[in-house]
Formats: sequence, C-alpha cells, structure tokens
Amino acid sequence: MHKKPSTIEILFIPAFFLLILYPICAILFHLTPEGIVTTISDPLFWSSFKNTLITAFGAAILATLLALGFGYYHMFNRDSIMYRIADLFNDLPIALPHTVAGLALLLAFGRKAFGFAGSTGLAFTVLAVTLAMFFVSYPLAARTIASSVDEIDREIIDVARTLGDSEGKAYVRIVLPLLGESLISSMVLCFSRSLSEFAAVIMFGGNVPGMTQVLASYVFTKVEEGQIDAAVSASAFCILLSIMLVIILRILTRRRHVRGRKPA
Amino acid sequence: MFAVENLHKSFSDKKVLQGCSFSIPDKEIRVLIGRNGVGKSTLLKIITGILYPDSGDVLLNQRSLLRDPTEKRRVGYVPQSSALFPHLTIRDNVAYALRNGRGKEEEIDTILAHLDLHEYEHAYPYQLSGGYRARVALGRALFSNPAIMLLDEPLTEVDHAKKTEMLPEFKKILQELSIPVLYITHDPREAALIGTSYMAMDANGVTQVNSAEEAFSFIQ
Repeated sequence: MHKKPSTIEILFIPAFFLLILYPICAILFHLTPEGIVTTISDPLFWSSFKNTLITAFGAAILATLLALGFGYYHMFNRDSIMYRIADLFNDLPIALPHTVAGLALLLAFGRKAFGFAGSTGLAFTVLAVTLAMFFVSYPLAARTIASSVDEIDREIIDVARTLGDSEGKAYVRIVLPLLGESLISSMVLCFSRSLSEFAAVIMFGGNVPGMTQVLASYVFTKVEEGQIDAAVSASAFCILLSIMLVIILRILTRRRHVRGRKPA
Repeated sequence: MFAVENLHKSFSDKKVLQGCSFSIPDKEIRVLIGRNGVGKSTLLKIITGILYPDSGDVLLNQRSLLRDPTEKRRVGYVPQSSALFPHLTIRDNVAYALRNGRGKEEEIDTILAHLDLHEYEHAYPYQLSGGYRARVALGRALFSNPAIMLLDEPLTEVDHAKKTEMLPEFKKILQELSIPVLYITHDPREAALIGTSYMAMDANGVTQVNSAEEAFSFIQ
C-alpha cells in the first residue's frame, strides 16, 4: 500500500523541480545542432577544456597534498596554535567572496610581490589559474582528509608508536594507506570545485583565450559576445562533466561507507 | 624491574591518578583489576608515552622512561581492540617492528608457529576471529622484543571456552619472556588463570593483593 505523501513532500517536489532541475534542463532544451557544431569545431573551446583539465587536476593534487599536512596536525597536534589557525582558515575561503580571493592572490603573487617571475608576476598564467582553483578548493580537501583521519582508530597509531614508529612514520605507514579512497574523494571533490570556479580564476588568472581561459570563462565570453548557442553547448558539456564527477564521487563515498575502516 | 612512582594525572579538573605507585619484578605477570574509569587506561597510556603524567615517574631497571618518546621505550602493547593494521597481512602485522630495526627476521616464523598463526600469515585482520586477532596482537608485541609488556583486556573479543584454552598458552609465552608484564582484565577467571600476582585499583591508587578473588572483592 502506498503511503500518503506529507505536505512537506508535496511542497518539496515543485520547488526542487522549479529551482534546481528546471535551470539545468533549460540549458539542455536550448541545445541546437548548430551550437554544438560551432562549439566542437572551435579550437578555443578545446584549449579551454584542456586548460580546465590541467589546472583543475593540478589544483586537486596541490589541495590534497596540503590537506595531508593539515591531516597530520589534526591527528597529532590539535592543541597547537598552528592547528587552530589552519582550522579557522579552512573555512575562510568558503565564506570569502571569490572575487576577494582572486584579488588577494593577485596582490600576493602579482607584479609587485612576484615581479621577478615575469612582467605580471605569477598572475595571468596557467599557474595563476591553478592557484586560484587550489585556493578555493583546499578547504574541501582539508575537511575530507580531517574527517577521514577521525575515522581511523587512534589505538592503531598508538600501537605503531610502541613498535618504533615516530609520529611521521606512523602517519606515512599507517594513516596514509588507510586514507586510501579518501585521497581520491578529496581529489575528485577539489577537481569538481575547481571546474566550477570563475571569479577567483578571472581575477588572478585572467581570461586569455587559448592561454588562461577555462570552460567557465569560455561560457562567460560566449555570452558576452552574444553567441548564446555556443555558450549553451559549452554549458551542456560542463553539466555532463559535472554529472560524471558527481557519480564518481558518489561511488567512492558509498564504497568508503560500505567498507568502513575502523577495525572490529 | 619495572616501577611506577607516585604518578599523578588530571584532565581539566578531574583527578584520574593520585599518587599511583607499584613495582613489577621481571618474570612476573601482574594482573591489574579495577572498575571502569578508575584510570587503568590512563596508566597504560602514561607507561607507553602516549600521555605524560603531571608528576611522578615511570622506571625500567631504575631508569626513567619519561624522557623517552613512545617509539624509544620498548614497551610491548596489546590493546583491547587488538588494533591490528587493517591494510597489512598477518605476517606483516607481526613483523611490523622490523621496519624500525626491531626484532629478527628469522623469528617471524617462530612466532607465527608459536601462536598457531602460520595458516593465516597471508590473511588480513578482518578475515580472522577475535581469538586469532588477539594472537596476532600478542605476536606483534612479542616480535618487537619489548622490555615490558602491557596487555589491556586482550581477550575481550574471545568467548569463555576459547579463553580457557588460550590463557595457559599465553601465560607460558609471557613467562618465557622473563620481563615484567602488566595485564588488565575484568574477568575473574581470566585473572586467576593468567596472573602470578595481583593488584586492585580504585580512586585512592593501587593496592597489591594475594589473589584474583581478593582483588575483585577489594574493588566491590
């Protein structure tokens, strides 16, 4: 027998369809064969796609590596001032307007501070795009690694210490192998977040077609140029990519939950 | 000879250890009995070096261990959960200390055979029963060539019948080590079967008693 839906369920359905699914579908409904052909034959689209993959992947690796450092503090040094500062700043890039993040990176690594690296410092380079993506995605990596570190039975680490491991050795030999899929989850999460980043990338990395342009800024440029069909096709491509990433993340998360990692 | 002298430890306002003192000669298996929350685990964590006491000392052969980090203390530790490394095979678990220059490679097989683990040497911890996990945890601690052994309710996951079978074997192995052994349990039968001496722990500290029964009646 079917149960009668509650009022909350009845209200949720139209709200979800109107505000979440409908905008996504609007992109797909506006796809045209001409737009698709224009987009896939545009070398700038493919260069922005290539830039997106390279920079988002670089940002994901950087963010996960730094998050592993945070994970070490989270496991062994939670009373330290460094941990408290890092923990506080983990949330800052989430709350900060990303234009501010981009400006902060521009001032920190731009012409004035890093003039020795080039006429614009590190700004408006592929590295700048990577750093902008890294800056906004690192908190996700740090949170993922920290929550996975929390799942590890502390007694396992204590035993490893009694068997001669220093904290560093125990982290590398025991914690890192147990993090396993969390490292991949962290990378996928950061990659997805990087894929969606626009403001910080534009501010620090710029939007130079064929050089620092990424998919998000490619869509923006096409809208600005009035080429809506091409913008819609590129957006549909982004949606497809995002859905694939979300599915990968779901599979990884489910596998983690099924296996569990605390010993019985 | 292992000794704990006037150990104090507090967490915020809660005093957990207040002047805890005792000593354990070599070859002795001292069973420690106490209610939950009385400070047994804190005591073990101080001996292993995971926690530091507010005051007092931990001595092994009249030398203070407090200045040494955990990895230098040569304390064999078998926790309640076994705490096996889940990503390593049984053989690699037992031989873990080899990575830090402890134990001898040729002793791995002896320990595996001694603890009836050869059949499972390529298995992973999740494939083993509680009794076999306890054996692996003991073997891993033995292999590291410890100067003192601490066992914190190592057979919690094992049923009574199996315990009765395993305890004389464990006792023999522990006595062959000729080092001080501190064994915590809540099970009177287990205490009687494994111990060579007994002490009871309450909020006032530890008191040496003559038998397992006396220890359990002391803490009632």
